[in-house]
Amino acid sequence: MRYKEYNVNKVLEKCLRLFWEHGFRGCSVKDIVEATGVNRFSLYHEFQDKNGILYNTLKLYRERYVSDKFKILEEEGHPKEVLTKFYLSFLNEANLQHGCFFIHIGTELADTDENVNVLVKSYLGEIESLLQKLLGKYPTTKNQAKFCARHLVGLFCTTMSFCLIHSETERNNHISNGIEVILSKNKNYATST
Amino acid sequence: MPQALNQTYEELVFKAQSLFWKQGYKGVNAKELANHLDVSMSTIYNKYTKDMLFIDSIEYYMNTYSDPFLSQLRASKEGLISLKDFFYALIEALLDKTFPRSCLMVNTVVEMRNENQDVINLYQRYFDALVNSYKVVLEKAIELGQIKHPEKKDDYARFLLGVIFSLSILYKINDKESLQNFIDERLSFIV
Repeated sequence: MRYKEYNVNKVLEKCLRLFWEHGFRGCSVKDIVEATGVNRFSLYHEFQDKNGILYNTLKLYRERYVSDKFKILEEEGHPKEVLTKFYLSFLNEANLQHGCFFIHIGTELADTDENVNVLVKSYLGEIESLLQKLLGKYPTTKNQAKFCARHLVGLFCTTMSFCLIHSETERNNHISNGIEVILSKNKNYATST
Repeated sequence: MPQALNQTYEELVFKAQSLFWKQGYKGVNAKELANHLDVSMSTIYNKYTKDMLFIDSIEYYMNTYSDPFLSQLRASKEGLISLKDFFYALIEALLDKTFPRSCLMVNTVVEMRNENQDVINLYQRYFDALVNSYKVVLEKAIELGQIKHPEKKDDYARFLLGVIFSLSILYKINDKESLQNFIDERLSFIV
């Protein structure tokens, strides 16, 4: 058996950074070879092709960078505060980049690459069910929680795209205004602040 | 020998914008651009650079796609119903590929953020036009008595500004019916 002299996740981490900065089409396999120090043959052996690398970076991103952020949605507190904290966790200086890697790659490829499409869809589906659970903690009908969750996913998409060009103040306003308008549909969410 | 340029600059921009729309700015290299436009590499390096063609592609997009769309919206008479028609028309354009890949402006925001000052200036123009058009329609809606809280007009206009961004992602993973439903529900927030 061939001895693997590199760590797969370390390679993927470098590719993730590369794709996020330059886009998928904006990176050549040559760029990847240079950034990771792994030759083309080994990369193809491990991941099949450049697209295979991409799918694995999405999975790595989900596991490594998003789990903590999803946990915020399970925290106690008023939904407005929990939601604000959740959205802002993607726009924090400590992150690799502002925003969300799934939305970044989804914008570029979700309409042309079937696998990216499926991954983005299940990612947003996961967010939607977490949001629904959060809203379900408050007296409401199931339909209403679903309804608000759907639109908070919409706000997530907006925040991870539009807010990338905002100043901190504009961004905070956009998020709080969005949450305000969506939650105002249900008086149980709207009252307690 | 230098290749004679038998195309006008406008024709080149027309071709370039369709490539940038599909592949983004960073996803197009100089060689691809030269091939797509059928010009030499030296034309791209010395005469019509990638940056120049990109900026003019966005201008072209605004003049050809968004401005007519928005002036139609501003001239509309039915308030929220016109707004709904506007978003429905946008969904059609996204799904039938009149817009080959989401909205070029949204793509650019996600891809380039605030990296290029010329692009930032164009964002400004685009979003001002968009938010002003929404305000005009909301005023109409207020006149028609369709909105319960007229004092929230500016908040609503900003809220609507987000719709084009959400749609740009959601149209790729949802069907037409759920997108239309999404719009109906969005608009229900402001009545």
